[in-house]
Amino acid sequence: MPKIILIGSPNSGKSLLFNRLTGLHHKVANFPGITVDVGIGKMRALPDVELVDFPGTYSLQAISAEEKVAVEHFERALDDPEVEQVLCLIDATRLEKSLYFTLQVIRDCERHGKPVTVLANMVDVLDSHGLSLDVGELGEAIHTPVLPISARTGKGADEIARHIQANRQLGPQPPRAHLLDAPDVLLRGTAHQLARRYGPKGDVLVRTQTRLDSFFLHSVTGGFAFFAIMYLLFQSIFTWSAPAMDAVETGLGAIANLVVPLIGSHVARDFTSDALFGGIGAFLVFVPQIFVLTFVIGLLEDSGYMARAALICHKPLRLFGLTGKSFIPMLSGVACAIPGIYAARAIDSPRKRLLTYMAIPLMPCSARLPVYTLLIAAFIPSGTALGGLVGWQGLAMFCIYFFGMLCGLLVTGIISRTSEDHYTDLPFVLELPPYRVPGIWPLLRNAWNRSKHFVTKAGKIIFTVTMVIWVLGYFPNYGTDLGTSWLGYLGRVVEPVFAPLGLDWRYAVAILTSFLAREVFVGTLGTIFGIEAADENMTPLVQQIQSSDLAIGSGLALLVFFAIALQCVSTVAILSKESGSGALATKMFVGYLLLAYSAALAVYHLAALVG
Amino acid sequence: MNISLWTLKAGERCEILGYDQMLPDNYRTRMMEFGFHPGETVTCLQSVAFGAPKVYRVSNTIFSLDEEVADHIQVRVLAADA
Ligand SMILES: Nc1nc2c(ncn2[C@@H]2O[C@H](COP(=O)(O)OP(=O)(O)OP(=O)(O)O)[C@@H](O)[C@H]2O)c(=O)[nH]1
Ligand SMILES: [Mg+2]
Repeated sequence: MPKIILIGSPNSGKSLLFNRLTGLHHKVANFPGITVDVGIGKMRALPDVELVDFPGTYSLQAISAEEKVAVEHFERALDDPEVEQVLCLIDATRLEKSLYFTLQVIRDCERHGKPVTVLANMVDVLDSHGLSLDVGELGEAIHTPVLPISARTGKGADEIARHIQANRQLGPQPPRAHLLDAPDVLLRGTAHQLARRYGPKGDVLVRTQTRLDSFFLHSVTGGFAFFAIMYLLFQSIFTWSAPAMDAVETGLGAIANLVVPLIGSHVARDFTSDALFGGIGAFLVFVPQIFVLTFVIGLLEDSGYMARAALICHKPLRLFGLTGKSFIPMLSGVACAIPGIYAARAIDSPRKRLLTYMAIPLMPCSARLPVYTLLIAAFIPSGTALGGLVGWQGLAMFCIYFFGMLCGLLVTGIISRTSEDHYTDLPFVLELPPYRVPGIWPLLRNAWNRSKHFVTKAGKIIFTVTMVIWVLGYFPNYGTDLGTSWLGYLGRVVEPVFAPLGLDWRYAVAILTSFLAREVFVGTLGTIFGIEAADENMTPLVQQIQSSDLAIGSGLALLVFFAIALQCVSTVAILSKESGSGALATKMFVGYLLLAYSAALAVYHLAALVG
Repeated sequence: MNISLWTLKAGERCEILGYDQMLPDNYRTRMMEFGFHPGETVTCLQSVAFGAPKVYRVSNTIFSLDEEVADHIQVRVLAADA
């Protein structure tokens, strides 16, 4: 199928335009370097052509791994006979940043005989400041058509399709820009002059940004704002999603009480109530939390605040061998380690990228969230202090999150100081994007997709594990005595490993299954307690744990164990792929496992000492 | 007076004179691609406390650079409203 390439500098709005033209939903964020993979989709207006969304690069002269991938892809694409045209997206409010790249693209396309169209994006911003860009004159100057568009408002989208169609009918044309042999230095000079001549003048565009920066980057107010925002983020995970979680729990309970008595066969009835509603239901309750977390992180990214947070964090992170740019991958790691690991590609310094990889699996990812929520709800009282401002459970969540992050930092701090390696290091340069009002719909959609992905991906594993656990626990005595079931025997085999933490065999089995994915822990426990309770009314898992005489020290030990251990098959796989080193992934898995166990043991004994 | 970009105070403007040898080549190129050309005017918008990266403006784009880069860019301070 004929292809059209969409390329442009980071944060120029490619993904937003791509989504608009194709109707797909790629992640959009106000931070340079968000898209790291090539996306393909059919254009809505021209169903017989495919549009290809490329990761942003500042120049075709790559200096980071991320850019190299993009540049090589681009050069290869130009050789591809299926590629008919190239769309080069530039940010009309920041010409000087995009024009050099544009000229490079025009030159390379000319060499390969592919027509280029320049799309000057964000004209809505120019309009709102009473500015304009003379696209006619700029087009003349670079001998290339320039279309004014806005990916946000949709202005110019129809013209793009019309223009592409007209170009296709014209067929191949001789090059016009005469840049064939122009060296990069010349292009750089020309771009600079063009930007001066045609670029928007004056301060209006940066005035708001500067004013907001003087608050958010101020040494006093900026620090305060940073902690307030992070605290809100963590409270929101608990407080804002609580009503939705309760609704899911009540809803599932009601459905279970309706459905279960209708099932005739005794075994099928037990299966539905224990495995389906007990196991899978226990895990579904946490979906609202994942939704809220993804949404709030998206809000921060799209508003432009994340880049400021990266700046604020740079100096402290450097103490631990990292860079401010590690902040985004690490915070994404709070949603899920996998996007975090992908996001680390945007770190230009190979050494710091490696260290960031090590920190990410210790970030409190959303798969830990169900486990944390369950254990905190079981062990921490639900009261509030300071007139409802601070909830104890929210505070506990904040602490365990903080603990995970601290571990990550300590690990990289120690490794960066003690290990010699051959990885090169590069200094810190970060473009600060303008503050923007976040686009709510794309963010909601992204949160929805993430939750759906979580349910479908983890759901499959959880479904399988729950079934196996249920069968093992239910037979051979039809759920009358869990202790003498097959699962009970298996549990006693692994029990000695976890006995030092005060955990009985039921928890041992749950931990064992959680190595597939952490959230399986909740499903497994749900099934085990479901069989044990042997009644047809659903009792929330929290209450069953509370009545299972688990010592608070064991609860804390479990929290610590889950905070550190790398119990996620997918993360290990992606890690070894992205870092290109299976040895690194294996070492991290074993290392974090040992660390997790020792730390849990220490906490258990400490709790016993305190009383 | 020639100083490094890093020593510029918040609110001051300067003209870029050049780069010193300490900065790796690829980074010099990238800085120029960002718009830090010799002859260009740069304003220091903010110098954040505790040695955090400082915030600079070149035409309509705002960058944050840390000492490792900014210290290798030589500049000449311009009069307040030249
Ligand atoms: N006001 C306005 N904002 C826009 C426009 N196009 C994109 N944006 C915003 O610009 C930011 C970057 O958009 P993306 O689509 O993620 O940019 P990208 O080019 O894909 O960025 P990378 O993947 O990081 O290279 C987002 O906050 C968008 O909402 C536009 O036409 N007008
Ligand atoms: Mg993108």
